[in-house]
Amino acid sequence: MTETLRTEALSKSFGSVHAAQSVSLTVQASEVVGLLGPNGAGKTTILRMVAGILAPDEGRVLLKGVNLEDYPLSTKRLIGFQSGDTQLYRRLTAREALVYFGRLYGMDEATLQARVEELIGLLEMKSFADQQCGTLSSGQKQRANIARAFLHRPELLVLDEPTAALDVISGQFIVETIRRERAAGRAILFSTHIMGEAEYLCDRIALLHQGRVVDYGRLDELLERSGCTNLTDAFLKNIGHTGRPGDVQ
Amino acid sequence: MRLNMVRTIAVKELREALRDRRTLFIMVGIPILMYPLMLIGMSKLEESQEAAQKARVSRVAVWGDSTSTLLERLARNKDKLEPLVWEGVPADIREKLTKGLVKAPPPLPLALDDIDPEKRPKPNLEDPVVKAAQGVILNRQADAVLVLWPQFSANVQSGAAGTASIFYDSVRPESHKARDRVSDELRQWREDVRTSREQNQKLATGFILGVDIQTQDIAPPKRKSGMILGMILPYMLISFSVLGGFYAAIDMTAGEKERGTMQTLLCAPLESLEIITGKFLAVWGITIITTVINLISLATTFARIRFIPGMQMSISMSSLLLTFLLLLPITFMVTAVFLAVGAFAKDFKEGQSYLMPVFMVLIIPIFFTMSPGIELNRYLAFVPVVNISLLIRQIFLSEWKPDLLFLALLSAFCYASLTLVFAARVFERNNLLLGGKENIHGILDFSRRPGAKPTPGLSIFLFAASLVLLFYGSLALENRGIVALLLVTEFIFILGPALALSSSKGFNLAETFSLHRPGWRGMAAGLCIGVSAWTIAAGVLVRLLPPPESLIKALEKILLLEKDSAPIWQVVLLVAVGPALCEEMFFRGFIQSGFRRLGMWPAIVATGFLFGLMHSSIYRLMPTFFLGVMFGYAVWRTRSVLVGILCHALNNGLMIGLARSHDLAHKLGLGGAQFVPWHIVVAGALVLVVGLWLLRYENPVPAVSASRAA
Repeated sequence: MTETLRTEALSKSFGSVHAAQSVSLTVQASEVVGLLGPNGAGKTTILRMVAGILAPDEGRVLLKGVNLEDYPLSTKRLIGFQSGDTQLYRRLTAREALVYFGRLYGMDEATLQARVEELIGLLEMKSFADQQCGTLSSGQKQRANIARAFLHRPELLVLDEPTAALDVISGQFIVETIRRERAAGRAILFSTHIMGEAEYLCDRIALLHQGRVVDYGRLDELLERSGCTNLTDAFLKNIGHTGRPGDVQ
Repeated sequence: MRLNMVRTIAVKELREALRDRRTLFIMVGIPILMYPLMLIGMSKLEESQEAAQKARVSRVAVWGDSTSTLLERLARNKDKLEPLVWEGVPADIREKLTKGLVKAPPPLPLALDDIDPEKRPKPNLEDPVVKAAQGVILNRQADAVLVLWPQFSANVQSGAAGTASIFYDSVRPESHKARDRVSDELRQWREDVRTSREQNQKLATGFILGVDIQTQDIAPPKRKSGMILGMILPYMLISFSVLGGFYAAIDMTAGEKERGTMQTLLCAPLESLEIITGKFLAVWGITIITTVINLISLATTFARIRFIPGMQMSISMSSLLLTFLLLLPITFMVTAVFLAVGAFAKDFKEGQSYLMPVFMVLIIPIFFTMSPGIELNRYLAFVPVVNISLLIRQIFLSEWKPDLLFLALLSAFCYASLTLVFAARVFERNNLLLGGKENIHGILDFSRRPGAKPTPGLSIFLFAASLVLLFYGSLALENRGIVALLLVTEFIFILGPALALSSSKGFNLAETFSLHRPGWRGMAAGLCIGVSAWTIAAGVLVRLLPPPESLIKALEKILLLEKDSAPIWQVVLLVAVGPALCEEMFFRGFIQSGFRRLGMWPAIVATGFLFGLMHSSIYRLMPTFFLGVMFGYAVWRTRSVLVGILCHALNNGLMIGLARSHDLAHKLGLGGAQFVPWHIVVAGALVLVVGLWLLRYENPVPAVSASRAA
């Protein structure tokens, strides 16, 4: 298998808050790696560093062996980033937004137009592709966003809680899209706090707590190491929490 | 920086902004509505008030000597003036006036009664007669009170002067009008008295008047309207123009943060400079469109209004174009400030609360320029916003000077550059753009970084900051003599900042300042360029825009260190070697290093342009730009600033020689000639070509890849 992403001891602090501490991960092609952790565990910070949006204080991000900090423009072309709270420009139509980002990624006009049409069909966006994004529903916006992240055929998809705030149907649509992209050979790093989603999608899972990776491996490995029968219990055990109200880890 | 990316971002931002009704309203709606509403409304109001006052009969209470024939005169124009004898007078005042128990005020100083009402002695408001008159006017019993003091008729008839006082309320227009009407009647009546006295005494006409003083306003109507326009228009134009970008700037910074779209842009393969430049061009574009709409609306509005009776307001096309030109740098600067400050806000609301004080700080200085006493001078030419505001007024008065215009534009360019560099630094802080906090210290960040090199932004920052320092510093040193002026400006204001910035950032001095030893060919090329480039500058470029005599004299004064007797070694050191060393280290050293990543010609041309601007005169811009390009090419090809120093020192040295030695000037055919003769130009061009040809064999510095730059 080809290693698409490697993070080496990534650390990031905001003042006295250590959002990420020495995080090392790898993601192979055709693999989904999930970052699992509660709110404030550092998932978003790690994904932003991987996507080149935030510069790490220490450590480095290698995409196909190339340091992102040294060659930001070429390495960013390999990444498709999408976050649950990412919005699209409300006064552009979904189609215009896709064309805009395609140009920013340096796609030539003919390829771009064909790819936009392909994604509009693939993600069932025909009915709203020419509506301004400000008028779309949450599910429609998320599809348009996914289309934007997939547009330039990135080798690595970085998805930050992509199903957050979506209804069951829209959420399932996104999950199936991720599976399809994995089958197409993409490496996928995604974060979630929904255990079922992680179990269903991820080839490997990194359990995060207070900016640190507390365990990392396949689901069966995590369960075996924790001695638990499900991911929720394994996670709670790893962070020293019983799950009862008032229990402090 | 990739221009296609910048264009993509700018076009998208413009498209979004033009779909925003709020931005559209400020951009198009306000200019179209505000000028007609404010200016036509004001002038119509004034016209209607004027008409109403003209139509109204002034009611004037007349107290005192009622036997005077003056009363008949006042009653003559019944449709203008209604004299009301003893109207509203208190009984005691009437008694005092009738019985002559009050004294007339002393006569006014010579001629003041006619010329300047503002300079007249103020009435004693405690005086019972004045107090009573004040009460009648303020209670609206009459518009004005005319008091004919005791013995008025008797004095006039006996050949002395009778005293009459008109009391009025300057705040109330109808009272003002009543004063004017009574005053006019009194003057005419006085003229009649004067004429009849001369006739009775068989005196020549004008005997009593003695001297007929006539004051006449020679200001043409265009100038008068220019004064009015110049006072109010800078404020309106600048504030309405920059307001166009106000909401767009917030929307593209804080608005994007709030909506969560900023991070999609940050994860795209873009340089921060491309993002800020794209956004900047979009906001500036909106501001420019707003400015154009403002000017069009203004011109059409003024074509239809009259402020002063009989005066048509109009703005010439050249005034409009010059005003537009002046508004470009100010909108450039404000756009950069708006974007930089807007990036600190977390959401749109916070953006508004951050930008409104910034807007006020920028606009308040314009109020000071509304005073007619404040005029553009060399000091104010470098004060941001104020300089442009004063220049706009000068343009409407048709009295702008090219040199001050150039200085104001130059300073505006400096401040605009500084703010744009700051805005670019802000946009490099992704944490800030994602809603995190950053302090100013972190953004300015002058810390050392190993392997770092100067950037174009840093070069522009150094140039702009040094130029402002140089400008005010040299004005402060004006009275210290040319020697002190040259030493301090060259070594402290030019070389000093370049060395200080370079060492504070930890740059490699040899690389930054191109401190390499040149080969013999490089030195020979420098020699050729140094002795010949001036012939093109002075023989061709000076012909296109000849400098005024005053500038030539000022330059000669510097070249001679004020006097012919200064020792030649001293002049050469101070005027040739010193400036060559300092300016070459600054421009061909630091500045050109910063631009190096743009490629050879952009770097050389940009450096040469800044070198031309540094000479702070529109007449010297083209010649010094040309010299800068020549020196820059020599340094680029030889990788040695020493060659630039050689060229520069030889160029200045030759100028000294020509200024000091009349023999040399005559031998070269320059004695008394206005321009360098063509045969010298041709000979110089040949030597210059040899110099440039020699440079072709040198190994130039490879351009640094933008993606690998520090």
